[in-house]
Amino acid sequence: MNAARRRERARRRPAAPYPLDEPSTGRLLDARLHLLDRQVLDVDGTPVTVVDDVELTDPGPDDGAPRVVALLSGSVLNTRLLGGHQPGARWYRIPWSAVRRVGVTLELEVRGEELDVTWTERWLRDHLIARIPGGRHDPR
Amino acid sequence: MKRLLGVALGILTAIGGFLDIGDIVTNAVVGARFGMSLAWVVVLGVVGIVLFAHMSGRVAAVSGRATFEIIRERLGARVALANLVASFLVTLLTLTAEVGGIALALQLATAVEPRLWIPVAAFAVWLVVWRAGFKVMENVTGLLGLALVVFAVALVQLGPDWSALLQDAVAPAIPAQEHASTYWYYAVALFGAAMTPYEVFFFSSGGVEEGWTEKDVAQSRADVLVGFPLGGVLSIAIAACAAVVLLPAGIEVTSLSHVALPVVTAGGVLMLAFLIVGVVAATFGAALETALSSGYMVAQYLGWSWGKFRRPAQAARFHLTMIVALLVGVGVLMTGVDAIKVTEYSVVFSAVALPLTYLPILVVANDPQYMGDEVNGRVVNALGQVVLVVVLAASLAAIPLMLWSGAGA
Repeated sequence: MNAARRRERARRRPAAPYPLDEPSTGRLLDARLHLLDRQVLDVDGTPVTVVDDVELTDPGPDDGAPRVVALLSGSVLNTRLLGGHQPGARWYRIPWSAVRRVGVTLELEVRGEELDVTWTERWLRDHLIARIPGGRHDPR
Repeated sequence: MKRLLGVALGILTAIGGFLDIGDIVTNAVVGARFGMSLAWVVVLGVVGIVLFAHMSGRVAAVSGRATFEIIRERLGARVALANLVASFLVTLLTLTAEVGGIALALQLATAVEPRLWIPVAAFAVWLVVWRAGFKVMENVTGLLGLALVVFAVALVQLGPDWSALLQDAVAPAIPAQEHASTYWYYAVALFGAAMTPYEVFFFSSGGVEEGWTEKDVAQSRADVLVGFPLGGVLSIAIAACAAVVLLPAGIEVTSLSHVALPVVTAGGVLMLAFLIVGVVAATFGAALETALSSGYMVAQYLGWSWGKFRRPAQAARFHLTMIVALLVGVGVLMTGVDAIKVTEYSVVFSAVALPLTYLPILVVANDPQYMGDEVNGRVVNALGQVVLVVVLAASLAAIPLMLWSGAGA
């Protein structure tokens, strides 16, 4: 029942104001409004992370508008909260090419399992949660 | 017929699920000290929680988004983090109070020391969170929680002077022996008890758990609009019982047995049995809700996979958060703190943490990007803004009143 309802809801969800058919071919986005702090869902609709920061190209010589290269997550949140610079590459990148749709959530066209950003989830699953009896039990 | 049954079940569950240890204890404390003169706060709190619980449920049904995801999207990482820290600590405190409440109720039934019950109670809570389906969990605790109707039955059997009670409630006056700061301190506590922030996190996340669509909005409206006010009536009945029996006798509520005293006076052992079943169910249900809420808010802020509809292995960090929260709660209780005191503080701090939770719900419920053409109507918005002003006032006043009144001493 729930799966069917979930699909129906996905269908009925209000359309995104800026549907992105080809994310890499340049559409005007307000990074603060449409990207930062948005929930990222994978191809199955499973939550992956929240966009903590974005990586941009340097402003081009022609039109001057920077392009989004990747969504960032992880310890970049600390520098956004506290200021300062990130020491080294301790963040996780989700390449912009993996983004399928930008709406009230960002939808990816890959599985969350395959992304580096979910390693804590996988580690805790394999070493702790799945080992507790009933950890793989489907509650429905 | 089936539909009617569904509506009835939903309403009954909402009544039973409305009350938690905070409502039970605070109403008894207030009734024993101030009579019915603070009943108006319960009415105000019920209006507020009905409005915002339904709003958060509607947002969840239409947009599929739970409250803490929205809080971060709307307030940004920094302010949302402040809200997360405050709401998480308050919810942890509430969870601790609820587990303590289960243990105290079981002590009334068995005369076994609460510290022996605490780990058992917490383990049982974890087991349900780990294993049981969402709907079953809600229905069982909600329906058993209906046993708290004994407070209303007890009040009738006590045969109070109804006109005096009503007079006291309608034209409230601060009792001569109490200071104004104490009166207002308990007003804030009672408001916090009715509107605790975990309720909207749980309600909206529950909507996502059950896969609500627009079709479920009507059912949710019935549950909230009928169930919560009836829960509020039970709250007032608890205060009235205390006002009739404890206030004239000069007994202050410092333990759960004081809360039970009016019911025992009215109906003896049989009604005490109902009361214990009711308190265990209400606190157990609320312990489940607060444990889940602690997981919901952290997972939603950080974008983790969450939800009881997933296998635990598919929401590993979410389940670990809840396990840690329960362990911390047990740890605090095992130091021997008074669970009744923990409860009193939890409801006051709830009042402090409320505004940052309620504002984003109101904002998103008006955002067509999330809600399409299901945005709030004018009346709901007007009421929502009034409630928000009250919430803000209660939040700002809570700490000064606590210091001024010596925490209601």
